[in-house]
Order: sequence, then structure tokens, then C-alpha cells
Amino acid sequence: MVLAKAASGGLGMPNLQVAPVPGHPGLQSKEVLQRNVREVTLAGVVDNLLKLPAQVAAAGEPGARDIICSGSFEEVNEYFIAHELSDGLPIVPPTLEKVEAFLRFTDLKPEEVLGVLLPDSRAATVWSVAVNGVMAGCRPEYMPVLIALVEAMAEPAYGVEHSGNTPGGETLIVLNGPVIKQLGFNYTQGVMRDGFRANTTVGRFWRLYLRNVAGFLPHKNDKATFGNTWRVVVAENEDVLAKIGWPPNCADFGFNAGTSALSIGRYTGGNHISSVSGATPEALLPYIADAVVRQYSWQIMFTVGQGMGTLRPLILLSPILAETIAGGGWSKQDLKQKLFDHARMPAREFERILRDWTQKPIWNLAEEHEAGRIPSVFHESDDPNRMVPIVFKPEDYMIVVTGDLGRNSCYVFAHNGVLGYPVAKEIKLPR
Amino acid sequence: MTRSDGAQYQALWPRSPRQAKVKSLAKRLDTLEGKTIGWLWDYVFRGDEVFAQLEESLKARYPGVKFVDWGEFGNTHGSDEREVVAALPQKLKAKGVDAVVSGMGC
Repeated sequence: MVLAKAASGGLGMPNLQVAPVPGHPGLQSKEVLQRNVREVTLAGVVDNLLKLPAQVAAAGEPGARDIICSGSFEEVNEYFIAHELSDGLPIVPPTLEKVEAFLRFTDLKPEEVLGVLLPDSRAATVWSVAVNGVMAGCRPEYMPVLIALVEAMAEPAYGVEHSGNTPGGETLIVLNGPVIKQLGFNYTQGVMRDGFRANTTVGRFWRLYLRNVAGFLPHKNDKATFGNTWRVVVAENEDVLAKIGWPPNCADFGFNAGTSALSIGRYTGGNHISSVSGATPEALLPYIADAVVRQYSWQIMFTVGQGMGTLRPLILLSPILAETIAGGGWSKQDLKQKLFDHARMPAREFERILRDWTQKPIWNLAEEHEAGRIPSVFHESDDPNRMVPIVFKPEDYMIVVTGDLGRNSCYVFAHNGVLGYPVAKEIKLPR
Repeated sequence: MTRSDGAQYQALWPRSPRQAKVKSLAKRLDTLEGKTIGWLWDYVFRGDEVFAQLEESLKARYPGVKFVDWGEFGNTHGSDEREVVAALPQKLKAKGVDAVVSGMGC
């Protein structure tokens, strides 16, 4: 009910009514659900269809450039926390002087709108990017990265409006290009650890912007069951890529190697895979493919169901793993193909997760295939033990080379499908 | 938080203007008798069962009410949700829908 109220307000219908179903339908017997609908929901539905709610006026808000608080560092921080404008950590007070310093690192005008972000339907202005960048502790020269991030956030295919959904997935930003070294991003050991200013503050900016401009506040529009803290930026090791002849992650999105660009995608979890051992790619593959399958449970609804081919598993490979795989003659595309061929689960497990365990309206793969909604690889026979892939095509896999130079590990992320689909943007430096 | 150096800051608003203005809601029906109700579903939280029960209960109260099944419109929360929602005005008109009930949230 709180979410419905917050979301309808952002859409310009703050008086839109809802008809509640008591409790959670997923945990009720058929009889209890029917009784709840008859005794509670029905009255709400009839009421909402026949009675027009009273009009509600929009609440007043400050202007885009208004000073909302004057005081000491502590007073400003207390004000921002009290007004739900902060993530709980101390923020750098966004003063005019600091915001203008950020604006000097873009050719865009401050009032330029990069997109309109749901659920609050606020304009993603260059000005607001600078204000939140200051707050996050970024350096002014990070501004082109922040602008590209917000452009990606506003890309419809990404689906920012889903950022407050039940699984509470968090976005991972992957960075490519000369900006990695120019701005001092960590791309080696501990790449996902905080402690490196560029990686850490840009990651924090993402969450602050989701909160302040998109409107994802916990207990309101952000309904993550548990949630995650924001992730630091992962930069790819392009020195290693050049050595082994693999294209960077941004090339998957159409950007040439050497372009400064970033991609975003939402992930509900992930796992570090230790001690990946073997002298050849053939020897390494079974463990990696097995690790990929083990990350995916309910998320296969994004392959067949809610998402239909939108699952994009992301695998971080440590440099020596990538070097060993490439040394065996495999290209990055070869690895994706091998993962498609080998990271599979029995069809009966696929159907059990969707039909029996999560009550998604997918009853069997044969029916989906016959309806033309999924590729034929999912129904090559009626054998329930046949092995089926977890994605539609090899290109759905994303491979990023980063992390400690000397360790044989990978990291597999559980993707959130259409509710955070990977998109990428070029980072444009000021002229 | 401990007190610091005594410096004063004038802090700017980190949000930006809302682009969606407050809209008037659609006129409500005078009765459900003889009207057509469309179900819109996001394919989660057992909406198929909830809508079926609502249909049965509404039919008992308003024998002349008609319904258009959620399957006629597509999934409002999936990979083609934008296309589904964009097609709604035309589909609702073509099917003579007087009002819609959209579910399920959680």
C-alpha cells in the first residue's frame, strides 16, 4: 500500500486507490485466497470502480537551484538525513562553488535534461548530476562518468523503474577505456572492494542519484526485501585484454576498443569461485560452467517467463584465468559459446522452479516452444532430463577481465533480467 | 556527530523538478450492471486466481457485467511491457472496455 501510494504520486495520480488482498497470495491456500478476495478485495474493487476519490493537489517543493539548508557541516548533514536526502553516510555539502566546479567538466548546459526517471518522474538534469556528485565525494573530473551513468540509467531498456523491486538487486557499473587510468580507477586486486576513491564514490553516486532523483527511498518506492549496499565500480584490465587479444566489455555494446564507456546491469547476488584449476580451457570450463548454473534459480524466469531471453549472466575472470583460456586458443566468443553449450540444467528442474516453486504462469517448456516464444534448443525432445541452456544465445553471456593479477578465481553474478537489463554509454570528455 | 571547524555551508537541493503534473482520474461508472471490465495482469502473485474469484463474485452481484480476460492484453510487467502498455488504449476501445482493474502489486 505504501509503495502504491508513492508510485502513483510520482505518476501524477496521488489519489489513485487500490484494493488490498490481505497477506501475501504466495503463502495462502486456494481456499484462504478465495475468501480474502471475496471478503476484502471485492469491496475495494467495487468501491474504486464506482466512487471517484477526492482530488489531491501536488505538494510544494524547492526550486532546482534553491538553497535548502545553511549551517555547519554537521547541521547540513543532519538536515539531509532528516529530509531523506542522504544514504546515512556523511555527505559533502553541495554548495554552489562545488557544483560549479563539477559543471566545468562537461560541455552540457546545467539545465539540460538527460532523461526523465521513474518512479518520481523527475528530470535528470546535468545540474542535479553535479549536486549529487558533490554529495557522494566525487572529484569534479569524474563528471563525464557521472553523466554517462545517468544517461544509462535513463535508457528505457535498462528499466530503472524496477529498481525498487522485491529481490533488491544492485547495479554493477563496468568501466572501459582511457578514463580508467586517467581518473585513477582500481582495476586489479580488490577491484570490488571500497577504498579507491574513484571506484567508491562513483558507486555511491549511483545510489544517491537513484534515491534523490529517481525516487527510490526504502520503505517507500524501494521495496527490496533485504536489499544490498551499492557496489563500487568495476574497471576492466585493458592491459591484459590487449595482451590476449580479447575485446573489452564495451565492445559487446558496439563501442570500439579504446573508447571510454561504461555498462550497467542489475544483479541480485553473486559468488566468488575459488581455485579454478587446469592448464587448458577445456580443463577450466566444467567448473566455471557449473558455477554459472549454481547462481541461477528463480532468475531463469528472465529466460523463460517474465523476461523472455533477457537473462545476461556476468562473469568476472581474473587475468591469469583469461590468459590461460586465451592461451588455449579460445576467443571471448568461444568461451561464451562453450558456456552456452555446457552451463545447462535438466528441463524438469527448469520447469519445477518456475511452475512448482515460484508459481509463475509457465507450465512447461514444450508449450512455450510451440507458441514460438522460446528457441528450439529448449525443446529438442520430450525427455524431462534433457539439458537446456539458461540463456537464449551465447552472446547473452558477459565476460569481464579484472581483479588480482595472480589469483585463479572468477566471480559469477546472478542477473536480474529485464528488471535491470545491461546497457552502455560512451563517456564524453569536455572539449 | 561531533562539532567541527565552524565553517558554514549553503547547501543546494539535490532533487529536480517532477515532470508529471497531477492528473484528474477517469470518471467512475454509475453501475457495473451491463458494463465491461478488463483485467490487466503482471503475471505475478496469483492474479489469475484473484481475477477469477472477482469475476465470480461480481457476476453474482451484477449478473449483466462482462469481462475481458487478462490474456487478451499481454503481460504488463515483462520484456515487452512497453509495447503492451502502448497498445492498451486501442485494445480497450476495440473490446468495448468501460473500466479496468490492474494487478497485482505487493
